[in-house]
Amino acid sequence: MKRLPRNAYWMGLLFTSVLLITLLSSCGGSGGGGDDKQVTDVDMIVKMDRGDYWKTTKLGAEVAAKEYNVRLNFLAPENENDVEGQIRLMEEAIKRRPDAIILAATDYEALGQVTDRTSYSDIPVVSMDSEVASTKVKTFVGTNNYEAGQKAAERLVELTGPDSEIGIMNFVKGARNANQREEGFLDYIARFPGVQVVDIQYCGSDENLAYNLTADMLERFPDLDGIVSLSAESSIGAGRAVDELGYGGKVKMIAFDNPPEMLELLQEEKVQAMVVQNPFNNGYMAVAAAVQAARGEKLQDRIPTDTKLIDLNNMLWPENQKLLFPFVK
Amino acid sequence: MRLWRSVKRLLQGFHVRNIQVLISLSSIAVTVLAVVLVSTLLYNRFSQAAEENAYLSLEQIIEQVHSNLELYVSGMQDIFDLVEQKIAVVPDLPTNDQLGEQLETVLSTREDLVSMALFTEDGKLVRNMPSIPMRQNTRLQEQLWFESAMENSGKLQFTPPHIQNLFKWQYRWVVSMSKTVTYRDQGKLKQGVLVIDINFRTIDELSGRISLGKKGYVYIIDSVGNIVYHPQQQLIYAGLKYENLEPVLNYAYGRYFDESDGEQRIITIQTVKPAEWKIVGVAYADEFLTTKREVGDFLSWFLPLVIAIILVISIYVSARISQPIRKLERSVQMVERGDFGTNVYVSGAYEVEQLSKRFNLMLRRIRELMDQIIQEQEAKRKSELDVLQSQINPHFLYNTLNSVTRLAELGRNEEVVTTITSLSRFFRISLSKGNHIISVQDELEHVRHYLIIQTIRFKNKFRYDISADDAALKCSTLKLILQPLVENAIHHGIEKSAEEGFIRVEARLEGDNLVFRIRDNGIGMTPETVEKLISGAIRSENGSGVGVRNVQERITLYYGADFGLHFDSEPEEGTTVTITIPAVRPESLEQGGMEP
Repeated sequence: MKRLPRNAYWMGLLFTSVLLITLLSSCGGSGGGGDDKQVTDVDMIVKMDRGDYWKTTKLGAEVAAKEYNVRLNFLAPENENDVEGQIRLMEEAIKRRPDAIILAATDYEALGQVTDRTSYSDIPVVSMDSEVASTKVKTFVGTNNYEAGQKAAERLVELTGPDSEIGIMNFVKGARNANQREEGFLDYIARFPGVQVVDIQYCGSDENLAYNLTADMLERFPDLDGIVSLSAESSIGAGRAVDELGYGGKVKMIAFDNPPEMLELLQEEKVQAMVVQNPFNNGYMAVAAAVQAARGEKLQDRIPTDTKLIDLNNMLWPENQKLLFPFVK
Repeated sequence: MRLWRSVKRLLQGFHVRNIQVLISLSSIAVTVLAVVLVSTLLYNRFSQAAEENAYLSLEQIIEQVHSNLELYVSGMQDIFDLVEQKIAVVPDLPTNDQLGEQLETVLSTREDLVSMALFTEDGKLVRNMPSIPMRQNTRLQEQLWFESAMENSGKLQFTPPHIQNLFKWQYRWVVSMSKTVTYRDQGKLKQGVLVIDINFRTIDELSGRISLGKKGYVYIIDSVGNIVYHPQQQLIYAGLKYENLEPVLNYAYGRYFDESDGEQRIITIQTVKPAEWKIVGVAYADEFLTTKREVGDFLSWFLPLVIAIILVISIYVSARISQPIRKLERSVQMVERGDFGTNVYVSGAYEVEQLSKRFNLMLRRIRELMDQIIQEQEAKRKSELDVLQSQINPHFLYNTLNSVTRLAELGRNEEVVTTITSLSRFFRISLSKGNHIISVQDELEHVRHYLIIQTIRFKNKFRYDISADDAALKCSTLKLILQPLVENAIHHGIEKSAEEGFIRVEARLEGDNLVFRIRDNGIGMTPETVEKLISGAIRSENGSGVGVRNVQERITLYYGADFGLHFDSEPEEGTTVTITIPAVRPESLEQGGMEP
């Protein structure tokens, strides 16, 4: 029997031992896998940093930011109709190069160009609340504003009857959501030949201006049967005017959004109904979508959030309580 | 290709029955098995204990929240009872200022109390604290706190969180305690509903400050599954987060695993008796049962390490055992090849050392035995030789003496003298003091005297000639090897020939060999005769007694089988016998012994 030199055995044993060790250690090693929790920078540029609507939006965004490990940069111009200011904020955001931008455009057309520019820096943009004229937007999170306008019109016509005069208090001319709500409202009203829209005013989401414009409208059109106001701020101003000038209950009013003042007026039957959006969910889902967009995931074209028509009868339903009043401990 | 061949070679060399491989493999197998077995047992035992500990601490945490909350709720109950008592004793509730102050104090000391109010059974306000005007359209009779208080008369009710819309201030989320109570209005006993609203400050504090890992949390639901408190209450209200409440409602207290959202969560449940709230602790298994994973991680590197160490040790030990044995084996192999001079000394295990010692003893014994055998053989041979040499036929002596007698009668004194002298010389060399080895010169002298005697006997029927190299003369040779052949030449060659015979004896050094040639011109021999001669079948009756066979045997015995006689014979031409023996110089002659 011819034998190999004894080195061969040593080599053989060494070989098997190394094999065994690597085998075993690879078994154990493959078990652990750290989750990659990295911070995502998201700039959220909204229309203004005031009012319950935007506060609730911010609340939702902050909750999502905590959950998705996002460093949220909440920005807004002074006023809701400060288009230049918002363009400037966008430009600054592009320079900072965050992982994603969420934009609630004050003007559909004017913000389009600067939004297009984000694509040069590869910053995904999520549009929230109101759309912007840019194809670079990854998705839109928000209300179906046209439908919301129609809902308001439907209820108002129910309240005023088929022969009536109606005034519209809108907020910013050029803002996509304002236009869509108005369009929806007018399109629905058009079905009733007896219903006339006698006036459309734009208050620029200024409560006082809305108050003055409403007072003026009430004076100019003494036979006014109903008023619809299409944003939170305009609703507050218009509602106050209707209440204080003694038109409460006589002039039917449909408000938009759910500032606490409006809810009080609703309970006091000065305002008959309100179309309520879901700003908390808007903010939350916009941030969630921005995180997905930053990761390069494909998103749906639209992520719709609900609107609800709230009146005195249903305002205390448990699910509506949850929608109308943000839970603050 | 080369790699494959070398691997194959390695595997061929890797004999399973090789001691080293056997020991290594079996010890590795046994220890790996043992280590794996022990560590799995330990792992299971340890992780089980760790798991139980985790559950225990979970339960303790939840129990802590539970007892705090129970304390809080019963504290609230006490306040409610206190307010109820105070209301009951006041004779005219709606206008009593003293009561107002007392209740104001209670409210202001407790930050978590929002408001208290008493309503009639038709939902009309009797008195509230703080005194803030009511809103319109509160629809309080439709509200849960009012309804359930009316339904469960005399029993304290807790509501899930709801919006307080009664008074003209901020809309607030509250939990309401309500109960039907009796009070006096202007002395008349009346029934009403007392409601005290609590905010979430204390509940949040009690439930939020405990830690169930980074992700874990505690939430509270009421008996029908309404969320009372949740750290992410707004998310749940907004429909962005869900709790799997269905299984929770089946438990009053206890623990179960929930995997509804993909992650393993340990749900621990406790019930707060007075309010029938359920405290639900949610802990994430990957955070809370980390010990199991840690132990697993530890074992995953510890196990290979242990196995590696065992591997190295077992290789070393098996080498320590098997290498001496292999060394021993190689030594035995050398002995097997005939090298008995090998001395084995192997250090190592005691047994192997003993074995090598014994082996050495055995070797020595073998050597001794072999020496003994050689000596015995030697002695035997010597005696045989002696016997052979003593076999000198007396016939030669009789014949010679007869010839001498005849010569003496004829008066041929000179020839008598020559014959006797030669005979005496012949015998003297024959005996040569008992030595077996004599010089070539003596051997030739011996033959000469024999030939002298024979020429006289055979009346000059033949002539002879003896010649030798000077160098050859000094060499030594076995004695009495030429004479038998010369005798043979005379008897079988010359005697039967009609012609005058001639015998030539030569001694020559040829290389290392000493060569004798005995040539005659007699009748020659057939190969058969040669054969018979060598085998000893033919013996001359009156010869000197030493036959051709004897010569051959002695040469072979003494010098080895390589040496001996060679016959060249041709009928009618004559015969040449060649004797070849090794040339031994005089120096070694003096030693005289017979070395093997």
